[in-house]
Amino acid sequence: MDNYSFQLYSKILKLFWRVFLIILGIAVLIVIFPYVRSVVAMFVIALLLAVLLNPVVDFMESKGFNRGLAILITMMLILGVIVFSVSLVIPGIINAVESLTSKLQSDVITDLNKKVEEFFAVNFNNAELARNVTSKVNEIGLKLLSNMAEFFKSVGSILASVAIVPFITFFLIKDIRRFKRSIIAKIPNKYFELSLNIFQKVGKQVGKYIQGQATDAFIVGCLTVIGLFIINLVFDNPVSQFVFIGMIAGVANLIPYLGPVVGAVPALFIAIISNPANLGIVLIWIVITFVLVQIIDNSIVSPMVVSKSVDMHPLTVVIVVIIGGNIAGAIGMLFAVPVTGIIKVTSKEVIWGLKNYKLK
Amino acid sequence: MKNPIWAVVEFRKSRTKDDIFNVLKNVPIFSDLSKKELDEVEKIIHRREFKKGEPIFRMGDPGLGMYIIINGAVNIVEENENGESTTLAVLKDGAFFGDLALLDEAPRSASGIADDNCDILGFFRPDFMDLLYRKPKLGIKILIALSKIIGERLRRTNEQLTQLQKK
Repeated sequence: MDNYSFQLYSKILKLFWRVFLIILGIAVLIVIFPYVRSVVAMFVIALLLAVLLNPVVDFMESKGFNRGLAILITMMLILGVIVFSVSLVIPGIINAVESLTSKLQSDVITDLNKKVEEFFAVNFNNAELARNVTSKVNEIGLKLLSNMAEFFKSVGSILASVAIVPFITFFLIKDIRRFKRSIIAKIPNKYFELSLNIFQKVGKQVGKYIQGQATDAFIVGCLTVIGLFIINLVFDNPVSQFVFIGMIAGVANLIPYLGPVVGAVPALFIAIISNPANLGIVLIWIVITFVLVQIIDNSIVSPMVVSKSVDMHPLTVVIVVIIGGNIAGAIGMLFAVPVTGIIKVTSKEVIWGLKNYKLK
Repeated sequence: MKNPIWAVVEFRKSRTKDDIFNVLKNVPIFSDLSKKELDEVEKIIHRREFKKGEPIFRMGDPGLGMYIIINGAVNIVEENENGESTTLAVLKDGAFFGDLALLDEAPRSASGIADDNCDILGFFRPDFMDLLYRKPKLGIKILIALSKIIGERLRRTNEQLTQLQKK
């Protein structure tokens, strides 16, 4: 075997081993994933919390607090707020869902059904079709509400199972720099500066993006709560559980373009179910409230707090939200845009690094 | 009595840390720092080993931070458009280079190539900026020391320029 053939042979062998090891690694990951799924989920939640709380801890550290103490104070405050909100909101929601379930079976819906049947009988001369439609809608509504009640009842057990998240979050915030350093230490010299630079830039941009989105969601939630509170004051409480609806609107706002519509549905739904005397006007005011919140968000809040580095075309948003939904349902839809944003920022920085660093 | 196994581990650990402290203490930008402050710096520096001939950074790469040689030697090399290289300096134990990159991302003006097997510490801009925010007193101390070094270099450059103009 001549020298050239030998070199070629050794290169092919190396390549073969690399591909083999990558395939083996992916296979191992697929096999072990079901067993470590809950740990991965806890770690992801803890990482998100760490990214959100880190700026507060850094700020306290800059004011002279010991880092460990700063983390403890921040986490205690956040935990207090969460426990307080949950204890305030959850029992009310369970009551509301249960009362809505009974309402759906009682007078309001019966009246509504009668009206729909009359409408179909007069206009299409087909009362049977109307009965089918209304019974199907009722069935879906009841199923949805009973599932919701079950979901909120199981929140307690979920909370207990994720009690470990604060511990992971604490150590992630405390030792984040040590973790970064130990990851970077494994990178070969040739790619060291490139990797360190990309790692820092991506970390910074992703952090900013997540913090911006969380702040935006919080502000949209608060604005919605204020709007619905005013409607409740003026029209004699047509929208019960407006704090919870505000929270949904804030979270749904994470999905651009589609989120605001999704956020308005529960408010409209609850108003229709509680069937106040001036339902039409209440519905119009709810729509106006959500439109106003969106105008304030798009023109003032969002430009100030959300990073522009992950701007996406509306079509891209719709496509990734559909793909996210297909992969992991509602959670997938919620995380589709942030995950795409992270991938976009990472690829941008990697391309920048590969263009600017001489790796030969 | 201490367990001899752990005693050895602790001895090794403290010796490595003391080595780094001694090296850092002799670098002008860290020379005014207390032991506690050096401990904070030690948490964010990266220790790397380079083999002889291996590039530490290349001319034209975006600047990321400074390096301090614990032991070994580094050639600072300038390359022209034809690929020919000129050695500007050979730096040895305790020397530092690339400190201007602590301030901005301007491209490296020369390459740093290991002239021997090297043990090197890296102190990088993103970590420095982060330190400046979290520990402003410590960050400002480093920043002032860095400004003094850059000021001194500017003064010398001015003197040389004046001498050249006189000729």
